[in-house]
Amino acid sequence: MPIEGDNAALDPENAQPANAQSATETPADDVLDVKETESLTSGSSSAQQADPGQPDEVEATHAERGPDEPQLTAAAPLPSTEANGNTDEQTEQHEAAPEPVEREAALLENSPSVAVEPDLLPKRTGFFQERPAEKVEVAPQVLRRRTRREVLLFGAGALAALAAGGSLLPQATLNRLGVMHEKKPWPGKEWLLNRALRVDDDVAEALFSQNRLVPTYTKSQITPLKNNYNGATPDPSYIPEWHLQLRGLASGLNVSLSIRNLLTRFQMHDQITRFVCVEGWSAIAWWSGLRFDDLLQAYPPVSQARWIRVESSVNLDPWGNPDPYFVSLDIPTARQPQTLLATHFNGQPLTVGHGAPVRLLVPVKLGLKNVKAVTRITYQKEQPKDYWAERGYSCYDGI
Amino acid sequence: MSQIIYVDQQPTTASAPACPRMQVVRKHHVLVRWSHWLNVPILLGLILSGLAIYWASPIYQHKPDPQTGNFDYFADIGIWICAHVPGLHHYSDPPDWIYNHTSLGPGMLGAALRLHWLCAYLFMLNGLVYVTGLVIGGGWRSLLPRRTDLRDAVKMFRFYAGLPFAWLARRTWPHPHFRTKYNPLQRIAYFSVPIAGFLSVATGWAIHKPMQLHWLAAIFGGFDKARIWHFWLLWLFVLFVIPHIVLVLADGWDTLRSMIVGWSAKSGNSEDVHHAD
Repeated sequence: MPIEGDNAALDPENAQPANAQSATETPADDVLDVKETESLTSGSSSAQQADPGQPDEVEATHAERGPDEPQLTAAAPLPSTEANGNTDEQTEQHEAAPEPVEREAALLENSPSVAVEPDLLPKRTGFFQERPAEKVEVAPQVLRRRTRREVLLFGAGALAALAAGGSLLPQATLNRLGVMHEKKPWPGKEWLLNRALRVDDDVAEALFSQNRLVPTYTKSQITPLKNNYNGATPDPSYIPEWHLQLRGLASGLNVSLSIRNLLTRFQMHDQITRFVCVEGWSAIAWWSGLRFDDLLQAYPPVSQARWIRVESSVNLDPWGNPDPYFVSLDIPTARQPQTLLATHFNGQPLTVGHGAPVRLLVPVKLGLKNVKAVTRITYQKEQPKDYWAERGYSCYDGI
Repeated sequence: MSQIIYVDQQPTTASAPACPRMQVVRKHHVLVRWSHWLNVPILLGLILSGLAIYWASPIYQHKPDPQTGNFDYFADIGIWICAHVPGLHHYSDPPDWIYNHTSLGPGMLGAALRLHWLCAYLFMLNGLVYVTGLVIGGGWRSLLPRRTDLRDAVKMFRFYAGLPFAWLARRTWPHPHFRTKYNPLQRIAYFSVPIAGFLSVATGWAIHKPMQLHWLAAIFGGFDKARIWHFWLLWLFVLFVIPHIVLVLADGWDTLRSMIVGWSAKSGNSEDVHHAD
């Protein structure tokens, strides 16, 4: 993004506060007024002459000038001294100009700066053009005092940030670093980190729309999907006995559905969607199954139900011991048309590794919500527990 | 307002300098200064947690090594360090070395995610503070690139590259003159880094919400490519921070002070001061 009139920025004249003031649309007679009764009106006229592009800075000068810093004076609103300083600095700068291009530019636009009353020739600076830094005349001890104050302030802030930030690190990291070894974690730590998770979950929920579809892909875009059972893959012996149990229905009944019921009574839908794991990997896969929404229509939940607990009793831990898996799912997500109870993967019935005979497929959630081998669905009012939320992950997990 | 300026001006206009005075320039708005320093803990938190998240599913993988079972190119760096750095030959788990020293550690995805979200929201808020400070203080104009910047940046680069040799040879090595707040190399860096910050946030959202914000992921070439962007933006920050710190320290107290106090005693932009990156 190159800036037009770039060379003008190199012009020494523009870099001078006095000329920056001249760029304002100060009426000519006003300026003449200043010349005539300089000492009397300098205060008010300087306010008028101040660059309108930086009114805040004038205010800031003003606000920072506390009673403890009476020596501090803004140099900018001093037309007479500025003018003198100007000519001095200009000659310096002409000597210093190292670049032939710069010197040329300086010469080209030199004539107005030689004029005795440059204020009479208003000159516009580009909106994007760099403005001269605001100069402040200050007694050295004021700078020292201010430096001491600010360094102490920023130093205290840095130490506080270091302490707070350090204590936010996970206990395992702190132990490894050898700090805060046996110490109890700071009580606000969990609260703050959980709060961040909650805020993020709220953002995810706000982004979700029941009618928004996720992108779908073609068969040529399919990528391999690994069996990512968190523990051991269960023995397939559970499959013949498998039933899907529904709890918390409006009818008050407990319903148990076989795979044949599901496949014959509901319409099957195909979709090729991306499956995203919390770990960061993803896969594009072809799934078929019934819509969760259709199941909700066929077996309506109790009216006050807001949540669904989806669980698999056949899940195992890494050592092969039973480790029931359960997630919370909000009903609006279940009603999203791409949320399936998948029975097929790549056109074939689900394998054990992918959660035969029925798994939850919810593309708008992280992979960890996509429960394999679902055995029970419970509708309830309160938010159910969640396997991974209990292990420090978020619980809404919308993506 | 004008009244007070008028009153305060009296001592200087009326009487000759009673006490010695010096001229300083306002260099950085207070919001810019605060957001600058707040970036230190926030970016540190983002990097430490970000690499711990990366551990869970590295982008760059090779076939598992038969000896260590490692398939992560990044972890290979740690293995190499353990094999070649004296004193580390008996490190218990070489594939973990790099994650133990640059991140929260391996196997800490849940904790890393929590910290990453916290820091990410703070980073976005801090970005707003920075932009506000740039707008209020008018400092944004000094960051905009000029048409001559590319050529002048080469000149600056040559200056920095030759400086240590000139110093060793005790030769004078004049700093190129620029009449702007920043030299062209600084301007390129200070203009790019906020953009990199913005891109980090955008790619972060793209991989955080790839379904609801799939259009954002699509801008960066899809979910997987957005991860690659996000990963390399981290190294861009690292690449910026190292010379940034080195040059500020080399440049001296005034430059460092100006980011704390806001004032620089090096008034006037034309002086051949060593502006640090």
